[in-house]
Amino acid sequence: MLIDETVRFLAQVPPFQFLEAPLLRELVQSLTMAFHPKGEVILQQDGQVSDHLQIIKKGGVKITLRPEGGAEDVVVDYRERGETFGLVSLMGGHQRTTIVAVQDTTCYLLPKERFNELMASHPAITEYLLQFHLTKYADMTSREIQGKSLFLESSDHLLFTAQVGELCQRFTTVVEADTTIRETARRMMEERQSAALVVGPNGEPIGILTDSDFRTRVVAAGQPIDGPVSRVMSHPVVSVDEEVPCFEVVLKMLQCDIEHVAVTREGAIRGVVTNRDFLVLQGRSPLAFSEDIEHQTTLEGLAPVSRKAMSIIGVLLREGARATNIIRIISELNDRVVRKVLELAEREFGPPPVPYCWLALGSEGRKEQTFRTDQDNALVYADVSDAQRPRVTEYFRRFTVYLRNGLVQCGFEACPANYMASNPDWCQPLSEWKRYFSTWISEPTPEAVLKSLIFFDFRPLHGDESLAMELRDHFGRLLPDYPAFLGFLANMLLRNRPPIGFFGGVAVERSGEHKDGLNLKIKAVAPLVDIARLFALEKGIRQASTMDRLEALRGGTSLISELVDELEYAFEFVTLLRVHHQYRQLEAGQPIDNFIRLDSLSNLERQSLKKAFRLILKVQDQVLDRYKSFII
Amino acid sequence: MGLMAWSREKLGWVPSGADLPIPELRFTVLDTELTGLDERRDDIVSIGALHMQGGRIEIGGAFQELVNPKAILDGRTVVIHGITPSELESRPPIDEVLASFLDYTAGTVLVGHCITLDQAFLNRDAKRLKLPPLRNVAVDTLALYSWLRHRSADHPAFSMDLPGLSLYDLAAAFEIPVEAAHTALGDAYVTAQIFQRLQPFLAQAGVHNLAGLQRVGDPRQAGNLTPTGQAHF
Repeated sequence: MLIDETVRFLAQVPPFQFLEAPLLRELVQSLTMAFHPKGEVILQQDGQVSDHLQIIKKGGVKITLRPEGGAEDVVVDYRERGETFGLVSLMGGHQRTTIVAVQDTTCYLLPKERFNELMASHPAITEYLLQFHLTKYADMTSREIQGKSLFLESSDHLLFTAQVGELCQRFTTVVEADTTIRETARRMMEERQSAALVVGPNGEPIGILTDSDFRTRVVAAGQPIDGPVSRVMSHPVVSVDEEVPCFEVVLKMLQCDIEHVAVTREGAIRGVVTNRDFLVLQGRSPLAFSEDIEHQTTLEGLAPVSRKAMSIIGVLLREGARATNIIRIISELNDRVVRKVLELAEREFGPPPVPYCWLALGSEGRKEQTFRTDQDNALVYADVSDAQRPRVTEYFRRFTVYLRNGLVQCGFEACPANYMASNPDWCQPLSEWKRYFSTWISEPTPEAVLKSLIFFDFRPLHGDESLAMELRDHFGRLLPDYPAFLGFLANMLLRNRPPIGFFGGVAVERSGEHKDGLNLKIKAVAPLVDIARLFALEKGIRQASTMDRLEALRGGTSLISELVDELEYAFEFVTLLRVHHQYRQLEAGQPIDNFIRLDSLSNLERQSLKKAFRLILKVQDQVLDRYKSFII
Repeated sequence: MGLMAWSREKLGWVPSGADLPIPELRFTVLDTELTGLDERRDDIVSIGALHMQGGRIEIGGAFQELVNPKAILDGRTVVIHGITPSELESRPPIDEVLASFLDYTAGTVLVGHCITLDQAFLNRDAKRLKLPPLRNVAVDTLALYSWLRHRSADHPAFSMDLPGLSLYDLAAAFEIPVEAAHTALGDAYVTAQIFQRLQPFLAQAGVHNLAGLQRVGDPRQAGNLTPTGQAHF
């Protein structure tokens, strides 16, 4: 009975929950249970070393440190139910902190000898406990969530578990570069292949020729079929190692807009995979939707396909895809819909009078939309003479209104704040856009900064990208001269402190519609986005997405260059929580929001969330230090 | 150390000297379930016990045995502990269980709630089976609680009005969850947790060693406080 109770408890507590059941039960036999009344000094800095790892069953402790020569104790951490203390002293032979019970606290004590055995047999447990990085948390957490969905629905996980090598056709047509097109076609027919790989003198893949290439590049283009295949092949060929997960290959196909990928083993050709292979594997693949989107020629046809594409998210979630990959796929599909509507508009109104570039803003710009939110977009066009201006303005006015309405039809709601290209303010020539950015940066006011943030995350989605690049260069040059702007960004970041309560617990809404809920978007996602944006702008980094920005900051000179791993995993984790939460609401037919209830989270999820909050707090403190002079 | 304590120690009846500090003492916290309260007629149906080292409860190594009693279980007590005659038929008689239980208690201080009743039945059977009686020092949680009540009145667990002084009343006072009530081990576990909670207060009140525990936790004191042994069956 004592044992069962203890096993039940530890089975919910990381890292013990990852132990196999028999080992956990055996481990429990060696535990003792201690009671620390409120106020008890359990361990004293520089005092006796702990001979147990203590796992808090009930209550909470405060960990303080008196710096050398310091007069006052500094609170280092609070630990509560399910967390441990005494580890460092157990391993390091020196008690570096003072640990006091802040409530009546009951702990399970794992003796040192048993702990050492565990360390030897289960290094992962130690790694977890050491918590040097958030990395381990996020990995195990996504595995846990994956396990959860496994439990809920038995769907095939092949896309995510299978490596592309398992799927690729063992045999493929391989031809030399000087083989004739006719000969290539004959071989493909004989060998029943939909593509032929073209290899160079050393057998390395240099190009590919597919069924559809014969249509478009040979027949339609009137190519003589006795010419060499190298003249009509697509190149370079995209190749992936056989150990890459199928999922990543699908993503690559989407991004490069290709249907065939060469699979290699240690650099040598092994075969080819086609999107058809994934369809077979998948039933419903992101590629299938993207093709559906491509094939539409009318808005009426596009709208239902676009709305249906949302169901892909469920498939991805059930297969335990990484959150940042899920949102990337969502963005990819959304981008395609937007591009398609743009194409339809160009057809409707004729080619644009001057080059233009369609900009995705905010979360769409960062490729971080979870479920389809509202439209956030803008349009920049090349500067025109005064004489041309009325005609050009009129063209883009009608063009952008068509876009707004078309996207609404496809399931993207209009932006309530009117951040849309159909708003004349946000459909302007390049010089006007430059003026906007100059004003935002050189004359920042809190209100203006808040309003303009969405534009600093812009991404060219369609059209003449050089317009977007020029705009980015423009504000990139301005930023170093106006440090006050970054100061405003820092200010805004610091205003949104993580909701960590006195015991290190997470504070929730106390009343109202979302009582006991936590707004994940505002409290967890936004600070991480803001952190990445602040430092990216500070360092002149051009990427817009949070993950890309963080990655670009890795190893650099910014304050957070050492925290990139932790920030990435924190972002990954909170995004996953959010996507899961919203998908559940979607499936239940409820309105989608960002409020999660803490009691709906597992112990591990709660701890990971706390960990993310602590990380945000830590970065905020560093930001405060750096931007002190600008903080209001 | 007095002569009595010295000779007890020499005879192996107590774990060690009376001045041993509490954290160094080893305890057996025990509870028995009975067919009834009549020492002449009734029998033990189960024994549950666990060890504590000072204030630490050992999760592994608990003692738990159902016993096939000679006395007949009547419906009245079955209602309380939920043990039915058929469950006990296959269990060993007290003859076999008692000896291993006496081994289990060797070198420890006994702790129980209204422990005189447990002691009476255990010693009656030991005598009948020609086994040595339980001579371990025994401490009663009810006596400890009553003694502390006058000295730690500022703490809610002692100042609050309790409906009674049963094991479960005390558990409620200390907010100790009661699972598996009226099973010997379940009740022993609750008793151990109460004893655990009492220890910081004992230390505050100047009770630091075995002699002190014996003085304020004397089971005979508890006998005067409680009219019934409700918790035992």
